[in-house]
Amino acid sequence: MNNILKKEFTLSASPITYFFILFGLMFFLPGYPVLVSVIFVTLGIFKSFQNYRESNDFVFSSLLPISKKDIVKGKYLFSIIIEGLGFLLMLSATLVRMTLLKDVTVYRTNALMNTNLFTLGAGLFLFGLFNLIFIGIFFKTAYKFSPFVIYLILAFLVIGIFESLHYIPPMENINAFGFDHLLLQLVSFFTGLLSYLILTYISYRYAYHRFEKVDL
Amino acid sequence: MNHIVEVRNLNKNYPSFQLKDVSFSLNQGRITGFIGRNGAGKTTTIKSMLNLVHPDSGKISYFDLPLVGHEAEIKKRIGYSTGSVSWYPRKRLSDIATITSSFYPNWDKESYQKYMAQFSLDERKTPSELSEGMKVKFNLVLALSHQAEVLILDEPTSGLDPFSREELLDIFTSLKEEGVTLFFSTHIITDLEKCADDILYISQGRIVAEKTKEDFRSSYSKEHESLEETILRMEKENTHE
Repeated sequence: MNNILKKEFTLSASPITYFFILFGLMFFLPGYPVLVSVIFVTLGIFKSFQNYRESNDFVFSSLLPISKKDIVKGKYLFSIIIEGLGFLLMLSATLVRMTLLKDVTVYRTNALMNTNLFTLGAGLFLFGLFNLIFIGIFFKTAYKFSPFVIYLILAFLVIGIFESLHYIPPMENINAFGFDHLLLQLVSFFTGLLSYLILTYISYRYAYHRFEKVDL
Repeated sequence: MNHIVEVRNLNKNYPSFQLKDVSFSLNQGRITGFIGRNGAGKTTTIKSMLNLVHPDSGKISYFDLPLVGHEAEIKKRIGYSTGSVSWYPRKRLSDIATITSSFYPNWDKESYQKYMAQFSLDERKTPSELSEGMKVKFNLVLALSHQAEVLILDEPTSGLDPFSREELLDIFTSLKEEGVTLFFSTHIITDLEKCADDILYISQGRIVAEKTKEDFRSSYSKEHESLEETILRMEKENTHE
């Protein structure tokens, strides 16, 4: 698997993917729907998928002495690592906002969603949605990009819902500052993490079964 | 003679094209030319042989091992090349070769360097900077560096100038002398005249003939008819049937 990952990072990926990881730092932005940063990170991964198609990566990989399942696994591991790196930046920004910048006025008066563990959980759910809707369905054909449009529409809808939740009683506590309502924050974070794992697993199972049948 | 590749009763249905009961075998250390007009089924057959396309039915085996279930093992021992596809057009050839080598335990760096020099390929170039002929040669280098015993080449000579074609066909002959089995598709009949030992002729998705070049001539050619004239006549007869 090491050689597959090395191929993914050095040969197959688009360099833009790495640059777009930095959008994870948008979690610092006040007065901005921070979850959009997940869309930017996934847009970066999408650029690599465009690269796979343009550079005949799937045919090249299929000629190598590896199974088709390993090709799919390589793409998922690459995407998960990129998502993980984007998430680390989001986590870092969130922890700074929850501690050092907890009482900064610009964050306190922010009409939009605050950044806390609930936000991170919501971000993980969005990454899972990308894996399920885009990556999973992409492997049905290994060339159609329309699932990315479906993902984008769904992702903006979901972000809209997450952004509205804290205005609906009794959900206001999900917009907690610092370590207030910590149990609620932790539960929502782990729910997000669990949803990410489940959505990604379902997507991977579907993808490798479908890719096995694709004619390249 | 050893049958190093066996294809049996391959069928594949597309809405507007069918591959019908394609069967043939390849013999060790020989060059087989796979001739047929555009759209006759050459690429579909080749892609099926590489498991890039899934046939509806049929069996493919290499070295007495079925392709299904032994794909990785078999792919270590075979190579594929085409001029019409370029891998990673913006990456340097050296980077593509380095990554490729990590997948083959039997990768031979010396062979790689020898063939790169022999084919006048510059490692610092990218596939987008190569002509069709050079792309074929680079793919050949990748295949030869992992010591492929069978080379499957999809229209390696199409789009090449007569000089490059001649040069490439000479390379095929010298590879054969080293014991490599070559299978190449073409719609250029003079390629067969030049270097093929065996001829596999496909028309409208069916194998029409599988013979040695000499047997092909004696079976199908009329008096004073060249191989090109014979195949053209056969194709016209098949089309009008």
